[in-house]
Amino acid sequence: MAMIAKVMRILRRDSLVASRDSMLIIILAMSVLMAVGIQLFAPGIADSVVRIGLLDDDTADHAAFVAEYARVERFGSVAELERRVAKRDEIAGMVRSGDGYEIVVQGDEGPDLLNYAKLLNALYELGGSRDDSTASVLSFGKAVSPIKAKLANMLILMMVMLSGMTISLGIVEEKSDDTISAVNVSPVSQNAFIVGKSLLGGLSTLASIVIALLILGYRGVNWPMIILVGLTSMVLTFIIGFLQGLSSTDVIEAATGVKMTMLPIAGSIAGYELLSDKWQWTMYWSPFYWAYKANDLILTERADWPTVLLCAALVSGISLAIYLIAIPRIREGLS
Amino acid sequence: MKLASAYRKEMTIAFRGFYFYVEIVIALILLAVLLLAVDEYPEGREKEYAFYDASPAVVDAVFAELIEEGTLVPGEPEELTMKPASFEVVDEAAGTSARYSFDDARAVAARTMLEMDRATGRKKKTIYLLDSEDDLLRLSFSSGGVGAVIRPGDDGRLYYRYILQGYETERVSNLLYALHARSLDELGDAMDGQAVRSLGPVDRLNARESAVPLFVTFAGSLMGFFIVMAYLYLDKNEGAIKAIAVTPATVRTYLLSKTLVIMSTVLVSSSIVVIPVMGAKPDYLLFYPFLLATTFAFAALGLFVASFFDSMDDAFGTLYVIMIAFMLPAFSYLIGSFDPVWLRFFPTYPVLQVFKAVMLGKTDVPYALAVLAGFLAGGAAILLAAEARFKKTLTV
Repeated sequence: MAMIAKVMRILRRDSLVASRDSMLIIILAMSVLMAVGIQLFAPGIADSVVRIGLLDDDTADHAAFVAEYARVERFGSVAELERRVAKRDEIAGMVRSGDGYEIVVQGDEGPDLLNYAKLLNALYELGGSRDDSTASVLSFGKAVSPIKAKLANMLILMMVMLSGMTISLGIVEEKSDDTISAVNVSPVSQNAFIVGKSLLGGLSTLASIVIALLILGYRGVNWPMIILVGLTSMVLTFIIGFLQGLSSTDVIEAATGVKMTMLPIAGSIAGYELLSDKWQWTMYWSPFYWAYKANDLILTERADWPTVLLCAALVSGISLAIYLIAIPRIREGLS
Repeated sequence: MKLASAYRKEMTIAFRGFYFYVEIVIALILLAVLLLAVDEYPEGREKEYAFYDASPAVVDAVFAELIEEGTLVPGEPEELTMKPASFEVVDEAAGTSARYSFDDARAVAARTMLEMDRATGRKKKTIYLLDSEDDLLRLSFSSGGVGAVIRPGDDGRLYYRYILQGYETERVSNLLYALHARSLDELGDAMDGQAVRSLGPVDRLNARESAVPLFVTFAGSLMGFFIVMAYLYLDKNEGAIKAIAVTPATVRTYLLSKTLVIMSTVLVSSSIVVIPVMGAKPDYLLFYPFLLATTFAFAALGLFVASFFDSMDDAFGTLYVIMIAFMLPAFSYLIGSFDPVWLRFFPTYPVLQVFKAVMLGKTDVPYALAVLAGFLAGGAAILLAAEARFKKTLTV
């Protein structure tokens, strides 16, 4: 009981200090701002598959046809349309030429855009309605697009990373204020100090993750799974934050450490998203990979408890291994 | 002269410190990852699941035709595992839905067909041929891939029942309906006959090269913003800044020397990645001035922001928000069709655009020089503002 009381005292003290320099508010505000940003712009990212530029004097029939399959932009002249096509994003133009339409492209687009434009032209030429089609379309009724889920997942990892950085910088600050040595002559044990220092970052990060997911519309997400993965990945970040904070003698080293932490996190996300199945094993060493994978499955409604528990166990196991290896350094840093 | 001596002193300190070498190590790690782990033309990871509700002879005939025309290549059979799952399949057009529940976990061996990219010869997508509709539904639901049940009709045409995830736009289903309003042969011939006019020569960065503009922008230019603040607070903590008051060096010399150290570090770390990956392709005469100008401007901004805070801890929240905001144009860079107007007002947007053109070696030189001049002038103005603020606080 006495230990818990001491931990809570450190948490209260940290909350007071954090509220003075507005760090806590910034962590929460960041998550809200970024969640609102994703909510506003994710539909734009997901729905901007193909863009086609048409002239203002194009026939209403053709324009309506193209709009059924692509996002349409209109231009007053061929020169204006060409200027738009020449810009860096991907858009193909369609200009009337004889009986059909000529496709105008910049030349450096992916092959899919050109093929899509050709397909639309071919479909328009051949005619044929939905009634002639031999296709029918069913769905699983999933509401959340994978892009939104990926952005939300990155946001969660970013929040977790931010709390680790806060701990690291907080410890460097304590070192420069010489408060760490003061802890050693106080009745607070080193373990209580570590837990107490981590609690504020942990609680604010968990709160910001929950708020962000609520804003993003994930009300029906499996919350126990999200909290479990959030907690386990946070333990890891705390250990890294502590290690960096204690081993950094000054703020430039802590800042360098922050940059170093970004590498495995960004690498794990890139590895999970970009590597082919046969190369995924190369990322198995990274606990951030397992955290990202678990969140991905949960947010896209494909998760099951055995997989999530396995991912959480791997994150915890790797974190524990790092902690055990690092105990001497943490003790040394605190003494 | 004072600046040269201050710069030499700062560089000597930087060489003794940890940060300079970390930058080099990070650049070397990224170089190794790019060269060893990133394919120039990566294989597509898209998966589709198909179940042919027809006799094996019909299925073989369909694929023999597609293989012969080079659209598909037979792949190795793969074992696919299915977990217990429960889901609903909705037919919006008919207004009906059906519930499926599977309690068992099972594995199936599936034949595969690979759709190839004719330009690069790499796999675009893998099509798994399954033996039952239930397997198709379970795999499509759990992996997020499109599923299609195909059966020959009495009229001799093939009928397709697509199973999408549900978040796709109406345009996607419109296209699926339209695709099968005519025979695929007829469509293919009509597509081949389309007139196409290209505005410029076809030139693209491959997957490996595409990472380079991102690296030089975010780990190069923009990192100056972050690190120059750390350098400044280090001097503040150690009281070194106050010593300036009793030396002939001015605040401007001090700030410029810090900026020059960052520029030198970025010059080295960016070269480590750019030269081995890009070789002789980039326009180096434009690359280095542009890299230095943008690093200078972001470092000046870092100094200006730092002038409002007493410690790195205080400044961290603001720094983090600005860094994240500046990274947003990366989405537009990576997703070519996502290019909203508001994103173009972020300073990193033109930086990415110019670096990409420079890497291709086909820069719009007047535009690049205009952006460069803008960053130099903006950086100088911000540095002057930072100097004015620091004159009041730094040397007291």
